[in-house]
Amino acid sequence: MRKLIAISSGILLLALSLAWWMNSRQPQPVELMPILTGQPEYCVTCHSDLPEISASHPVETFGCVSCHGGERLALDADLAHSTMRGGANPSDLSVAEISCGGSSCHTGSEADDRDHIQRVMTSVQSTYAGAIANIRYTFGAQTDLTAHQGINAITDERTQTGITALEIFNPTLESNPMIQKFGEECFTCHINAVPREGESYTRQTGCAACHSTEQHQLTTAISYTQCNTCHNRGNYDLRTMTFVERTDHLTNRLEEYYQPIAQFTQCEYTLDCVDCHTRSEVMGDGDLHSNQKDIQYVQCKTCHGTLTELPLTKTLTDPNDIAFRMAFLKPVVDLKLGDTILVTEQGEPLWNTRVLPDGTYEMIGKATKQKFNFRPVMGTACEQKPNEQESHFCHECHAVER
Amino acid sequence: MRPSFFHHLHPPTIPTAQSRWRYTLGAGGTAIFLMLVLVITGALEMFYYIPTPAEAALSIQTITYLVPFGGLVRNIHFWSAQLLIVVSAVHLLRVVFTGAYIPPRRFNYLLGLALFLISIFLNFTGYILRWDTGIQWALVVGTNLIKTIPFFGNNLYTILIGGSEPGSPTLIRFYTWHVFGLMIISAILIGWHAFRVRRDGGIALPPPSLRADPNRISRFELVRRETLAMILTSAALIILSIFSPAPIAAPIRLSVLQSVPESAAAPWFFLWVQQMLKWGDPFLFGILVPVIILLILVLIPYIFPKTLESELGRWFPKSNRLAQITLAIITLLIIFFTILGSLPTS
Repeated sequence: MRKLIAISSGILLLALSLAWWMNSRQPQPVELMPILTGQPEYCVTCHSDLPEISASHPVETFGCVSCHGGERLALDADLAHSTMRGGANPSDLSVAEISCGGSSCHTGSEADDRDHIQRVMTSVQSTYAGAIANIRYTFGAQTDLTAHQGINAITDERTQTGITALEIFNPTLESNPMIQKFGEECFTCHINAVPREGESYTRQTGCAACHSTEQHQLTTAISYTQCNTCHNRGNYDLRTMTFVERTDHLTNRLEEYYQPIAQFTQCEYTLDCVDCHTRSEVMGDGDLHSNQKDIQYVQCKTCHGTLTELPLTKTLTDPNDIAFRMAFLKPVVDLKLGDTILVTEQGEPLWNTRVLPDGTYEMIGKATKQKFNFRPVMGTACEQKPNEQESHFCHECHAVER
Repeated sequence: MRPSFFHHLHPPTIPTAQSRWRYTLGAGGTAIFLMLVLVITGALEMFYYIPTPAEAALSIQTITYLVPFGGLVRNIHFWSAQLLIVVSAVHLLRVVFTGAYIPPRRFNYLLGLALFLISIFLNFTGYILRWDTGIQWALVVGTNLIKTIPFFGNNLYTILIGGSEPGSPTLIRFYTWHVFGLMIISAILIGWHAFRVRRDGGIALPPPSLRADPNRISRFELVRRETLAMILTSAALIILSIFSPAPIAAPIRLSVLQSVPESAAAPWFFLWVQQMLKWGDPFLFGILVPVIILLILVLIPYIFPKTLESELGRWFPKSNRLAQITLAIITLLIIFFTILGSLPTS
């Protein structure tokens, strides 16, 4: 009996040592106490190697859980990750409102220009309403080109465009096989869609579709390469209703920018898309639109003016001007009170431009920080007709040959 | 050797034949040891556990992942509780299959049955204290069963749940029952049960004239055997705790009725009830059948032919065959339904 007790004591001791050893193999918990929540999080125990998401979201302030959700105290990967919002991407539009929203974050008031999520939800980039309306019109499912359906059902009670709501587009309810096929084949581009396979299409969904150019990084300095994960990657063939990938060999920026048939000028492939195209064009203006053309308005003349008019400018006198906030997010220019910048026809500040004393203009690339000097059309030998002011008329003389 | 306090808890000598493992299975003693482990590990958990809906599951995450050896303590608490159910059931089976419950041990049989029932309630209340999406389904379904009781079901529900749906009053009530109410009752009953074992003449055995083996072992030997059992049980608890941690799930963040449960399964010892609930009337299968089974268990010493004194002290005496068969059928059915209930539903 004594021998049995001795042996079983040995077994117990062994079990205890095993428990001790297993415990010592656990990682030492690393606590993070974000200022905003004041609640400890232990995510960095395993995720200490992630880069800071952005200068605007320092981890000491936001922590991880405010955006990602998840179980902040759990050190077991399955449990810790079980309640994360949107998997690894909390900015997926299905959860962006909870992850990125909130009145002091990105669902602030329209007056403060902090209603980012509301605008994105109604923008053509997420409704895909233009493509849907065009296809349904083309194949006889609707009699006009006005948007009636979108990727998701959405309403706009304070509509400026007359479109108060979009129903959800359901290809299985369509009788025309081409529209059905459109639903199956052509839904890889809107920003919440899972992208096509292939390195050149790699992007996240939701806000991160545009704003995340590298792993766990958010930026407003969005390079043209990010836009290219959807744009200029190929064409939809309406006869077969399939996406035809680009096959031409892309060797330099000039070729990456536009497809072979497109016409463009030098600034269009030297600058990044976001250097000219504004927030309301890209992220929506809060209204539902029937077409990309309804919302894209920046033209050559926005910066260059016409023969008879200089481009619109604005002298910054209000320290609360949104231009300062935008410049703060992408510190590529040292914008000061009293500076005169260009503004668009809709009054949006082109805050990375400046009017120089000699009457020319300067633009700093938001992503490249490159400096460009340019002149107004007025006073040049340009023979543009007064009623032909859209960019494609400029392309007739200024397009680059390839 | 002078007997210590611990030795004095035992009779000076007991018959060799009835002190064998293969007769007692050591189940009753192991159950008391597991209770002791539960009290100690439970007391340790109480330093960190917060019985509010918002904090409960988070405090269990704290215990599990952040408190040094908290995970081990919680796992041991969990495994002790599960083993307690198994060991108590084995103890009950042993007592019936050896016919040991006849007078004067009839009352102690009832005390033991009450302890078994209480250990199930202790286990269920402890399970609910997790307050996470893993227990949510059982909480809702289990407590809704109470409502199906005619006449006083709704009142009983309100008394136990503390409102019209599970919420913070429910949690604090279950907590109080778990750490105080049921604990006090079981502490008293364990003392009473152990006292009655000795008052009723120790482990059931035939009268002196009919004993085949007149030898007896001393309390020193008995304590050594108990020590061995405790050491082996402890080792088993630790090994189970290392390789199979106690279940945990994401907290119930919305109200109990709004959150999405992680699993739609009862705790394992109620799987047989869950299986029967699939067949129809919740009152019939969820309340009445279990109560009838309990009633049969209560009546075993009263309605079935009594074990002959000469046949005491060994397994499967002929004289109480009917009681053995009855309990065997009930046990097999419960095991069968438990297996059915644990199969994934297709």
